[in-house]
Amino acid sequence: MFNLIRKDIVLHKKTLMILLPILLVYLLLGTSSIWVGIVFCIAIIMGVFSSDEKSTIHILLNSLPYTRKQIVSSKYIGVFLFTFIVVFTIFIGNLMIHREIIPWEDLLFIFGIVMVLTALAFPFSYKFKSQYLLVASLVLFAIYMIIVNLFIKNLNDRIREFVQALLNLQSHQLYLSIGFSVIALYVCSWLLSIRIYKNKVF
Amino acid sequence: MENVIELQHVHKSFDGFQLNNLSMTIKKGFVTGFIGGNGAGKSTTIKLMMNLLQPDRGTISIFGLNYKDHEKEIKQRIGFVFDENIFYENVTLAEMKKIIKPAYVNWDDNLFHYYVKTFELPLNKKIKSFSKGMMMKASLTIALSHHAELIIMDEPTSGLDPSFRRELLDILHNLMQDGEKTIFFSTHLTTDLDRIADYITFIHKGKHIFTKEIYQIEEEYAIVKGGIELLDKDTEREFISIRKSNHGFEALTANKTRAENIFGGMALIEKPTLEDIMFYTKKGEEHYV
Amino acid sequence: MQIIISNNSKGPIYKQIYAQIKKHILTNELQQGQSLPSMRQLAKDLDISVITTKRAYEELEKNGFIYSVVGKGSFVSEQNNEMIKERKRKVIEEQLVTAIQNGKEIGINLNELKELLTMLYREEE
Repeated sequence: MFNLIRKDIVLHKKTLMILLPILLVYLLLGTSSIWVGIVFCIAIIMGVFSSDEKSTIHILLNSLPYTRKQIVSSKYIGVFLFTFIVVFTIFIGNLMIHREIIPWEDLLFIFGIVMVLTALAFPFSYKFKSQYLLVASLVLFAIYMIIVNLFIKNLNDRIREFVQALLNLQSHQLYLSIGFSVIALYVCSWLLSIRIYKNKVF
Repeated sequence: MENVIELQHVHKSFDGFQLNNLSMTIKKGFVTGFIGGNGAGKSTTIKLMMNLLQPDRGTISIFGLNYKDHEKEIKQRIGFVFDENIFYENVTLAEMKKIIKPAYVNWDDNLFHYYVKTFELPLNKKIKSFSKGMMMKASLTIALSHHAELIIMDEPTSGLDPSFRRELLDILHNLMQDGEKTIFFSTHLTTDLDRIADYITFIHKGKHIFTKEIYQIEEEYAIVKGGIELLDKDTEREFISIRKSNHGFEALTANKTRAENIFGGMALIEKPTLEDIMFYTKKGEEHYV
Repeated sequence: MQIIISNNSKGPIYKQIYAQIKKHILTNELQQGQSLPSMRQLAKDLDISVITTKRAYEELEKNGFIYSVVGKGSFVSEQNNEMIKERKRKVIEEQLVTAIQNGKEIGINLNELKELLTMLYREEE
């Protein structure tokens, strides 16, 4: 299975080598490292995912001595690797550029959000295709805008405040329970994806 | 004799197509050619053998093992070639090798480079720039580089020029020398089969028509050509199907000896080609259904 | 050992191989105990399928011309060539007697028959 993750790195070596310096540029400009981190993680992870989506590639991977479970699992484990690469780059970048150490809560927050997003995106993409993910997020965004404009006018501010409050909270119990929920969601998504992929026809 | 592939009572249905109670066995140490018209179910059968599809009913075993418990073990021992490009397009053959090599316990770099050299393949050109023939050679190279015991190929000779097809058959002959390897390939170029195939498996509309030794086919089947006046209700029953024209008839029989007894001297009895058998079988179905 | 396969001949390929190897054995070109190429090697050399050479070897074995040792290959059997030749000669005699009788029935004399035989013999060469 680690061969499958290695394969993703071999295939996307070039993309990573282009994206990571751009990430540093953003850091240099002083953009919020949390949001930049999340965006880059998702971009890389979904890029890796979509390169395996052609039916001929499914035929290749499934003809090689791998099980479908391994093929799906490699993507879920790969998420940690790619997130780690991005987070590590941010950490080092910040240390070099701004001479400051990013609080570990921020880094964990990136991990958490990326895990939640991929937990939602992967089963959806296995069921349909990641192209439709864009459509789905546009629809979600539209619904969100409608909610913001019609019902809860200050939703944006509320979310921002909530996130800030969350990051400032020092309650370890809360962190722990959020952490557990994220992990539970991730594991459920993982199992669901395996189920979906097992029944897929190429 | 040992069976490498065994399909028993396999059913698989899609929209507008079904494999119906397909049972067949492929013998170890021999080359089996897999024939049938377009839409007969050849690719579906191959995908079932590769576990790319699962049967609705029935069992499939490869090397005597089932996919449920031994998927990786089975696939370690199979080399596969599909008729379309299944590689990543934006990489070179060298990179593709780097990706595939770790998957196989028995990968052999010397063998890989031997075939790359024999096929004159460029290692550092992107795969998407490959021609159909080069693509097929690249697929073969990958399929043959891990000492697979079973080679499964879907239309390997399509898109290859005649001289390379000869070359390929020589390579296959070489592979067969130790008697341990088994080759199963589908094709619609039936002339390739005379040179290499030991058994012919013929399917039509999702049904297994026969698996026979190649010489058995010419012992059993025959094309009978003669004047229309030879045909009547009884004699017509001897044939799988008949093609009539103003000048006479041509028909296929599955019982050569009987045909010789009935028509001997009055009609021409000839050796059928595999294409004849496919053509008349298809025609027969259309007629009687 | 020379074997020539005709794709246009009416006879099945395994029969052609059978006949030619048999001839090589009967004419002592292949000698007793001599090893034959493996079925797979022969198939490769002749560019035909293995099952075809296998069938030819099986027929040769059945009729006592060769024997095979597992893992070693096939060898020419001990031939009682004199006996085989003797048997063949008898068959030829019988066939010639029939030909003579048929000839007499329609009044063909010895010279004409000889001429016919010579002509046919040359045609077969």
